[in-house]
Amino acid sequence: MDLTTILQQLVNGISLGSLYGLVAIGYTMVYGVIRLINFAHGDIMMVGMYFAVTGIVAMFLPWWAAFLLSMVATALLGVLVDRLAYKPLRNASRISALITAIGVSFFLENLFLVVFGGVPKAFPVPSVFGGVINVNGVIFPNIAIITPIIAIAFLLILLFILHKTKYGMAMRALSFDMETVRIMGVNVDMIISIVFAIGSFLAAVGGIFWAMRYPAINPLIGIMPGLKAFAAAVLGGIGSVMGAAVGGFVIGLSEILIVALFPPLAGYKDAFAFLFLIFVLLFKPTGIMGEDLERGRF
Amino acid sequence: MNIALKCDKITMKFGGLTAVNEFSAEIREHMIFGLIGPNGAGKTTAFNVITGNLKPTSGDVNFFGKSIVGLKPYKIVSMGMARTFQNIRLFSNLTVLENILTGFHHKLQYNIVDTVLRTPRYYKHEKEMRNTARELLKSVGLLDKADLKASGLPYGERREVEIARALATGPKLLLLDEPAAGMNPQETLNLMYFIQEVKESFNLTVFLIEHDMKFVMNLCETIAVLDHGVKIAEGNPEEIQKNPDVIRAYLGDIDA
Amino acid sequence: MNKKTILTVLSVVLLFLFLWYGDGHLSTYAMRIWEEVGIFLMLAASYNLINGVTGQFSLEPNGFVAIGAYVTAILILTPAQKEAMFIITPMVPWLQNLHMSFFPALIIGGLVTAFVGFLLGFPVFRVRGDYLAIVTLGFGLTIRVVSNNTVPITNGALGLKGLPTYTTIWWCWGWAVFAMIVIMRMVNSEFGRAMKAVRDDEDAAIAMGINTFWIKMTAFITAAFFEGVGGGLLASLITIISPTMFTFFLTFELLIIIVVGGLGSMTGTALATIVVIWGSEILRVVEQPMDIFGLHIPGIPGMRMVVFSVLLILIMIFAREGIMGQKEFSWDSLFNFFKKNKVAQK
Ligand SMILES: Nc1ncnc2c1ncn2[C@@H]1O[C@H](COP(=O)(O)OP(=O)(O)O)[C@@H](O)[C@H]1O
Ligand SMILES: [Mg+2]
Repeated sequence: MDLTTILQQLVNGISLGSLYGLVAIGYTMVYGVIRLINFAHGDIMMVGMYFAVTGIVAMFLPWWAAFLLSMVATALLGVLVDRLAYKPLRNASRISALITAIGVSFFLENLFLVVFGGVPKAFPVPSVFGGVINVNGVIFPNIAIITPIIAIAFLLILLFILHKTKYGMAMRALSFDMETVRIMGVNVDMIISIVFAIGSFLAAVGGIFWAMRYPAINPLIGIMPGLKAFAAAVLGGIGSVMGAAVGGFVIGLSEILIVALFPPLAGYKDAFAFLFLIFVLLFKPTGIMGEDLERGRF
Repeated sequence: MNIALKCDKITMKFGGLTAVNEFSAEIREHMIFGLIGPNGAGKTTAFNVITGNLKPTSGDVNFFGKSIVGLKPYKIVSMGMARTFQNIRLFSNLTVLENILTGFHHKLQYNIVDTVLRTPRYYKHEKEMRNTARELLKSVGLLDKADLKASGLPYGERREVEIARALATGPKLLLLDEPAAGMNPQETLNLMYFIQEVKESFNLTVFLIEHDMKFVMNLCETIAVLDHGVKIAEGNPEEIQKNPDVIRAYLGDIDA
Repeated sequence: MNKKTILTVLSVVLLFLFLWYGDGHLSTYAMRIWEEVGIFLMLAASYNLINGVTGQFSLEPNGFVAIGAYVTAILILTPAQKEAMFIITPMVPWLQNLHMSFFPALIIGGLVTAFVGFLLGFPVFRVRGDYLAIVTLGFGLTIRVVSNNTVPITNGALGLKGLPTYTTIWWCWGWAVFAMIVIMRMVNSEFGRAMKAVRDDEDAAIAMGINTFWIKMTAFITAAFFEGVGGGLLASLITIISPTMFTFFLTFELLIIIVVGGLGSMTGTALATIVVIWGSEILRVVEQPMDIFGLHIPGIPGMRMVVFSVLLILIMIFAREGIMGQKEFSWDSLFNFFKKNKVAQK
């Protein structure tokens, strides 16, 4: 492999990894505050893609308006899912909430299958994202360059919110001790809603850029990236936002690089994340940056 | 007298926080040893280190002459150490009797094949375990509650079942984490007698954490005081009551 | 034998009499559904052992059933059939020549799946947290990727066809009853108590000297074995298998069954299997075009799944206990029920 290809693959891997990272943040934040694996998260990302398509194709919005609308609507969907399906089970056993999450996931997938059918739909890629860029003779797709920039921008904004604002601090406090935070007079339900909104918003961002990368979408498209993003969240240390982002980069990069270096393994590329997950659990269950959230609380 | 438990400078750090700092203590066999200290002093953490739930950052725990640091908690149970929790933790969907039966698990005498084939060995030991459990319940005066769901009992009785369940594991040393927490004075008094009786009839060594001063002073022969993870005093009840350091640590924290 | 055992044996005999009668008198379609009920009962009881009794949320069935199906299929196909079928890449020779009758093939299918259960459970159960669900979900997807790519073993996307149709109503229900006996005996023993203890409070279970790792492993591996066998039975019932056949819908159906029956209740599971499998057949109506009062409603394919998922969410929010909660049907409670009714009538 020559240097040019390596460079292209590297950029490609970083770009893919930043998508996993964006989606992983939602998993990790929700897990942090209510200890729930939100199985529907990958499907919420899928809905974000359909919102964006609908905005462009059916509502004739300019692409930026359609994307923005999709992000906001997806954030609202995340809040709605939490309020309707998860909140009634806050005090029930953990398994009840997990089962409900699977129910929501299956519901979204099949509802969209019924409404839009299983045939992949083309995703209209705005021309800004469509072209290629030539850097000293090395050609990159625009989207591969833009994606990580957007992702890092959102990550910085999120880190600012988490560490510098009242709400962000409440979110972090919540992941340590919900009862104490409640006693201190914080509106816990609202904070949880904000977490779902942020997570779903970023899932929509990830989804839209995912859709532009492989410009076709279908109702089951959220499953695989969802699973890989979860693996990224665990790899980074579930509960840690920075960890989720780093985990995403690691998984995305290794997926691309393994296939580039060992082409016969290409068919197995969707199995890598799973192996990663197993290895992390075996050797570093607290992840790269996480603390042990599951410590016994006696 | 034998030393039942010896803590040798155990230290437990959580990130930057030192929850227990070089805690040492010797607990002789057949005594009731008390550990007191304000909230967040590190008492429960010390218990978690002793029972193997946490691996100490440094230090050693000796149980009847054997170092037990690094052993799995269930292994330590089978060596003769049992515990209760600060907030009662029964198996809420099991009956009182079934809760007790789980205490025999580590010395189970039939295997999975006996279970599936329902061999004579299965029936024999299952019956033995049930009889022993009933005897145990009888000896602590809870036999009439045997078939009730654990979650349905009043608070005081739940605590007694929890202690009985710990006894079922056949301990030599019993660790009780704030057994009187959340009890009214009458329940607390009953519990005091209960612990005393159980200690005698089961020939136990008891190591208890308690917040209620009166409770500790009446029950324990020796008391250690923990503050911010550091042991600031140890002695008999009179000594502890007079110790100026203890009074300072507890100022405004004594509710008894 | 006491009175209650006799009653239980009698009801099993009655069940088989019904199946024997049905075999001669009911339609092929109806008997096919009853065969499915038998297999699903075994699958659901296994699934409930790990989810309901042990409290470890898991999504393993479709992946495990797929393994059992592939292993059994490869073992019961004749070398000649396999040679004819593997047209892209020839099969690995030692597998190609391996051939045996149905029963040992099922057992090996179960054992291989149990071993896979061991391999998956090992990393997962060593750590706390709900990783089992996501790992098993990922496994279900991964097994599809793998079976698509290991062409010399699975024939890839082409799948395996023309399996001998060994599965009969007797195989299905024989296994169902056997699995129920094994699982219920396990539940009603110290092992079952330990599983429930892990479910109710894992820390307290550890403090009781229970090796929670092995208890979870025991439940998971047992479930895996029966799911593997179930896969073998399904393979020979459907006679074709391919990487895309055992989808998440299978797991989802089982999840609905154990939730409807009551998490942790085996008798509830039995009841719910009949209700859900037949209900699911009846629900096919919503996917077919119909004419109501001259109004033509086109069938909505996939609508069943939407209905199922809404149902699951509603049950979890409003009727978490299902039919039986964690209770089991017992003859005593039936007698008591009738006694109470009599008293009420007086
Ligand atoms: N698993 C843990 N991880 C991090 N901090 C802990 C953990 N367990 C206890 N702590 C902290 O250690 C300190 C001592 O707690 P604890 O031992 O429960 O005190 P006590 O039982 O004396 O009230 C507290 O500040 C508590 O927040
Ligand atoms: Mg404490």
